Amino acid sequence: MNSYIDILFWIRQKKWLLIAMVYGMCMHHFVTPPTDLNPAAFDALIIISMALILIVTEPLPLPAIAMFMLFMQVVLGIDTANNVASSFMNDAVFFIMGSLMLAVAIVSQGLDKRLALGIITLTGHKTWRIVAGFTAISAILASFIGEHTVAAMMMPVGLTLVRYAHKDPRKVAGLTAALLFSIAYGATIGSIGTPSGGGRNVIMMNYWAEFGAGSVTYLEWIKYVYPMVLFQIPFTVIILLWTFKPEHSNLDSAVRKLVVDVARAGKIKGREWLAIILFILVFLGWVFLSEDFGLGIIALLGVFLYLSFGLVEWQELNRKTNWGVILLFGAAISIGIQMNQTGAAEWIAHVIITNLGRVIDNPAILQGSVSVLLTGVMSNILSSSATVAVVGPIVLDLGGDQILIGFATAIASAFGYFTAVAAPACTIIYSSGLVKSKDFLRAGWKMGVLSLVSLLGLSLLWWPLL
Amino acid sequence: MVATIMTNKKVLFDPKSLKFLTAVSSAEYSKPTLKMGALIASVFDASHGVVYVGERASEFHGSSVNLTRQNLDNWNIIHPGLEVLEWALQELKTLSPDNEELAKIQFNPDHVYEEDGRVRVILPDDKGCRIELVLREGELVDQLRKEIQLEGYDLAIIGGSQNKRHLAHSILQYLPSSIFVLQKFNPRKKYKLLLLVDDSTATGKTIEWGALIAEKLGWPVRTLTVSKTKRFGAGYQGAADKAKAYFDSRGIEVEQFFLTGDPVRTFVEFAGDNHFVIMGASTLNPVKQFLFGSKPIKTLEQTDVPILIVR
Amino acid sequence: MHISADMLFWIQQKRWLLIALAIGAILYFFVPHPQSLGQDGYHILIIILMTLILILKEPIPLPAIALQLIFWQVIIGGSTANEVGGYFMNDAVFFIMGSLMLAVAIVSQGLDKRLALGIIRLTGNKTWRIVAGFTAISAILSSFVGPHMVTAMMLPVALTLIRYTSKKGQSNTGLIAALLFSIAYGATIGSIGTPSGGGRNVIMMNYWAEFGSGSLSYIEWMKMVYPMVLIEIPITTFIILKTFPPELKVLDTAVRHLSVEVAHAGKMSWKEISSLGLFAAVLYGWIALSEVYGLGSIALMGIFLYLTFGLVSWKELSRGVNWGVILLFGATISIGVQMKNTGGAAWLAEGSVNFLQNLIPNIDTLRAVVSVGLSGVLSNLLSSSATVAVVGPVVLNLGGDPILLGLASVISSAFGYFTAVAAPACTIIYSSGLVKAPDFLRAGWKMAIMSVISLALVALVWWPLFQ
Repeated sequence: MNSYIDILFWIRQKKWLLIAMVYGMCMHHFVTPPTDLNPAAFDALIIISMALILIVTEPLPLPAIAMFMLFMQVVLGIDTANNVASSFMNDAVFFIMGSLMLAVAIVSQGLDKRLALGIITLTGHKTWRIVAGFTAISAILASFIGEHTVAAMMMPVGLTLVRYAHKDPRKVAGLTAALLFSIAYGATIGSIGTPSGGGRNVIMMNYWAEFGAGSVTYLEWIKYVYPMVLFQIPFTVIILLWTFKPEHSNLDSAVRKLVVDVARAGKIKGREWLAIILFILVFLGWVFLSEDFGLGIIALLGVFLYLSFGLVEWQELNRKTNWGVILLFGAAISIGIQMNQTGAAEWIAHVIITNLGRVIDNPAILQGSVSVLLTGVMSNILSSSATVAVVGPIVLDLGGDQILIGFATAIASAFGYFTAVAAPACTIIYSSGLVKSKDFLRAGWKMGVLSLVSLLGLSLLWWPLL
Repeated sequence: MVATIMTNKKVLFDPKSLKFLTAVSSAEYSKPTLKMGALIASVFDASHGVVYVGERASEFHGSSVNLTRQNLDNWNIIHPGLEVLEWALQELKTLSPDNEELAKIQFNPDHVYEEDGRVRVILPDDKGCRIELVLREGELVDQLRKEIQLEGYDLAIIGGSQNKRHLAHSILQYLPSSIFVLQKFNPRKKYKLLLLVDDSTATGKTIEWGALIAEKLGWPVRTLTVSKTKRFGAGYQGAADKAKAYFDSRGIEVEQFFLTGDPVRTFVEFAGDNHFVIMGASTLNPVKQFLFGSKPIKTLEQTDVPILIVR
Repeated sequence: MHISADMLFWIQQKRWLLIALAIGAILYFFVPHPQSLGQDGYHILIIILMTLILILKEPIPLPAIALQLIFWQVIIGGSTANEVGGYFMNDAVFFIMGSLMLAVAIVSQGLDKRLALGIIRLTGNKTWRIVAGFTAISAILSSFVGPHMVTAMMLPVALTLIRYTSKKGQSNTGLIAALLFSIAYGATIGSIGTPSGGGRNVIMMNYWAEFGSGSLSYIEWMKMVYPMVLIEIPITTFIILKTFPPELKVLDTAVRHLSVEVAHAGKMSWKEISSLGLFAAVLYGWIALSEVYGLGSIALMGIFLYLTFGLVSWKELSRGVNWGVILLFGATISIGVQMKNTGGAAWLAEGSVNFLQNLIPNIDTLRAVVSVGLSGVLSNLLSSSATVAVVGPVVLNLGGDPILLGLASVISSAFGYFTAVAAPACTIIYSSGLVKAPDFLRAGWKMAIMSVISLALVALVWWPLFQ
C-alpha cells in the first residue's frame, strides 16, 4: 500500500522526466527524420531537446542531466564512448573548472573587506554614488575575473551596508534592491567585456576554433566589446536608481560602521599580497599568453600556484567547487560539437533561414536578429553558458561573419536580466532572500531594452570601424 | 627592557587570556604529556586545547577512505583519532576531579565540526571548561603550525619523540608560539627549575613564567648565566641580578650560578637529568637559525630533560 | 622577520617541488635531447620525471600535481589545450568517476549488514573459516565492483567482530591483522579479475583501443584472468593465517554479537531492493554491453538511474568523491597518450630492452620481466592506476603481443602489497589505525612471491591455450 504511494509520489515529482523520456522514445522510434537530415543528427537533436526539457523543469539534479547527455550520445550511436569523452574536455571546460576554483581561492582570502574599503573611499557616503560605485567596480572587475567571483565577493559588502543602514532590511526594500542589483547587474554587464569574464565567452572562442572561423585574441575581444561595457555602466545606474528608489539618500552611519568593521582586519598581510600578485600574473597570462596556451590552461596554472603557495587547501577547493556544473558544461559542449559534426546545427540554421527568410529579406539583419533573440530568450530560461553551448553551433552555421555573429551571441547571452537563473550573479543575490523574483522583472525589462539598444549601436557604429 | 618589567612588577600578559595546546599521539605514550599539559594550563589558568595529529591517507584513495569512515560511523565505530581524543577528555576529567563543569561533559563522536583539514569536537562552551579537542591529519609540524596560527595558541606542549634531531629543529624554527618539549618526563620525579638567564629580550618573560611555575609547583629554582669568557658583562650580570630581585620580591628562593664556557655545552652538562629547563627563544634572524641553528635548538637536540622555550 | 620565517617554512615544506622544478628546468634548458628521440618526446619525458618526483614526495596536493601535468603538456609539450583536453577525458576516466560515485551510492544503502550476515552464515564461527570467507568474498566481489567499494563495506564488519573479541589486558594483534588483511589482500587479488575490478584495467583497455592493438571483451578478460584469482584465494588465506596467527581459534561471542547487531536491519526495504536491482543492471551492462557502449558510459548511466530514483543525492555524491583524483587520472592518461604520440614511450621501451638484453638474452622473457617488474615496483610507490597510466604506453611499445603484455602489466600493478599507498584497500585498512606499516612488509613479500609465481603459471600454462 505504502509503496504505491511512494511510486505515485515519485511519478508526480518526476513527471517531466517521464514526459521527456516518452517524447524521446516516440521521436526516436516512430518519427522518421526529415530526408535532408541524417539519422545521427536527428538523434543529436532529440537528445538536446530532451535535455532542454529536463534543464528547464529540473526533475533531476543538473549533473544527472549532464550524464544523461553523455551516455545518450553513446547509446544512440552518435559516437563511440572515447570520442564523446574527448569532446567533453577542452579548453573551455578547463577554463570553467579553473575559474570556479580560482573563485574559491580568491574569495577565501578575505580580500572583500579591502575591496569594500576601497570602494567606500572612492564613492563617499551618498547613496547614488555608492550604487554607481558598486555597479562600476562590479562591472570592471567582473569583466576580468568573472561575474561569479565578483558577486561572491561583493555580496557580503552590500549586505553589511544594508544591515547597518537599517536593522530590518525589508523596511528599506528600495535601498536593499538597489545595492544588490547594482552588484548583480554590474557583474552581468561586465562579464561580456573580456574572454575571461565568463565561461560562455570561452565556449564561444572554443567553437570558433572548432568551426575554423578564425580566432580572436584577448585584446581584440576587449577592443570589440569593452566600449559596450563602459557605455552600459552609467545607464544601469540610472535604471537601478529610477526603478528601486532608495529610501535614504545618504548612508552616513552605515558607511562609518562598515569602515570600522573593515579597519579591524588590519594592515594588508603578506599572503594577501601574494594572492593579489598571483591573480595579476594569471590575468597577464590571459592577456598575453592565451593565444599560445589557451585561457583554460592559464587558469589551471593559476590554481596550481595558489595550491603550491598554500593559499588555499585542496579540501576547500574540492568542497566548494561546483563539480556538477563542470560536468554539465562539458556535456553541453560535447553535444554542441556533435551537433556540428553530424550536421544537425546546419540543418536547424537552414530551416530557420528558409522559414524566416520570407519575413525578413536582408540576410545580415536576419542572422543578427535570430542569433540575438534566440540567445537572449534562451539564456533567461536556461543559464547563459548552457545557452551559448547549445545555440553557438547553430548561429555559427547561419552564414555571415562567424566572428561577429559569435560576438553578438556571446553578448546577448548576458541579457539574462529577467530571471534569477540566468546569470550566476543574479542567482547569488536571489539566494540572499532579500530580493524577489518580481524585482528581476521590474528592472529587467529596462535593462533588456538598454542592452539591445547598446548592442545595436555597438554593432552598427563601432564594429564597422574595426 | 628586563629592568622595566621587574621594577614595575607589571605582568606582560594577562594569564586569563592564555591558550595552551597539547599534542597527543596515543593513549599509551601521551599520558605524561597530557598530564603536564593539564597541570601547566591550570598553573597559568589558561584554556587548554588538545590536538591529535594523525597520518593523512594517500590522496589517491582519499574518497574511498572517506567513504569507509562514513560507513564506519553507521556502525558506531569511530575514527581512531577521535578515540584518542575521547581518551584525552577522560584523562583530563580524572586529572581534575573537582572540576564539576568538566565532569558533566560527555564525549559524543557525532558532535564534530569538520573544517578544512581539521575536525573539532564540539563541547558545551561553559565557563568552567575551556577545553578544545581537535583532530588533524598530515605532517606533524605543518599541522601544529596551522593549528597554532588559526587559534592563536601561546604555548605548544609536545612529548619527546624518536627522530628528535630533525623535529627539534623544525619545531623550534617554525612553530610560532612558546614551546614546551617534555622529553623523558616523569611526573613522579622531583625536578628543579633551571632558568637560563642572559641579556636577550626573551629573558624577562622567561623569568615571569618561571616564577609562576615555581610558585604553583613548589619546585626549587636555579638561574644559570653562562659567558664565553671569564668576564661577565654588565648585561649578563644585570639580567641575573634582576632575576634574583624579581624572585625575591615574590618570596621565591633562588640559587644563582655563573659558569664560563660554550653556552650550549654548559647548559647541557649542568642540566643533567633532574632539571626542568626554561629558556628564552632565540632572537636570531630565521635564516641564520635555519643555517647555523640557535642556542635553544642545539640545547633541545642535546639534552634529555623537559625544556620550555619562551617566545 | 616574520615573513622570512614563513618563507623558510614554505621552502622547507615544498623543497621537493623546488627540486623537481629545478631538475625539469636543467633538463629542459641545458641538456639536449637524445638523437633517437624527438624534442616533444623528450619534453614529455621531462614532465613525467617531474611528476614522478612530485607524486612520490607529495610536496603539493595530488590535484595540483594533476594540474601541472595538464599545463606543462601545453606549455612545453607542444600540444594545444583542446588536444590535451581530448586525451584527458576518455571512457576510463568516466569509468573511474562513475565507479567512485557508485561506491558512494551503494555503501550508503547499508547493504553491508546483510552482507555480513550472509558471510557469517556461510563460514560459521571458526576463525580460520572466517578469514577464508572474508578473503574469498572480498576477492570475488571486488573483481566485479572494485576494491574500494568492497573494503568500505567489509571493514565495519571486521571491526565489529574485533570490537567484541577484544577484552581488557588481552592482546590479539594477530587476529586483528588477520581479519583486516584478509579484506585488503582479498580485495586486491580480486581486483584483477574483470575489467570493472579497477580503474587501471579500464585504462589498459583504453590504451589498447587508442594504440590500435586489438581489444578484449569483458568475458574474454575474465576467461584469461579469473583462474588466477581463484588460485590465489586459498593461498592468500594460508599466508595470512601463517603470518598473523590469530590468538583465538573460535569467535563465537563476537559472531553472536555481530548477528544480533545485524539482525536489527529487518526486512529488505524497497530502497535496498531497488538499489540492488539497479546495481545488478549495471553489472549486466558491463558484462554484456561494455563492448558497444564502453564501461564508463554504463557506469554514468547507473549513476543517472540512482539519482533518478532518488536513492542517492547529488550532494552526497559530490561530497563523497574526491574530484582531484579524477583530475589526476585524466591527466596521467593524457600524458600517457602523449608519450606514445611523441615517441617517448617507444624510446623508453627500446632503451630498456637494449640495456637489459645483455642480462636476459631471451626477448620474450625480457619483455615479460620488464613489464611485470616495472609495474610491480612502481605500483608500490605510486598507486596502481597511476602506474598503469604511465607504464602502459611503454609496455605496449615493447613489441610482442600487446594484449598479453598489457594483461601482465595490469595484473602485476595489483602487486602493491608492501605499502599502504599502493592499493585503495590497503590504504583503507591502514587508516583504521589498527595495522602498522611493518605488517604490510611482513605479509607483503610472501604475497608478492605467490602472485608472481601464479602469474607465471597462468601466463605459461593457461594463456597458450587461447592462442
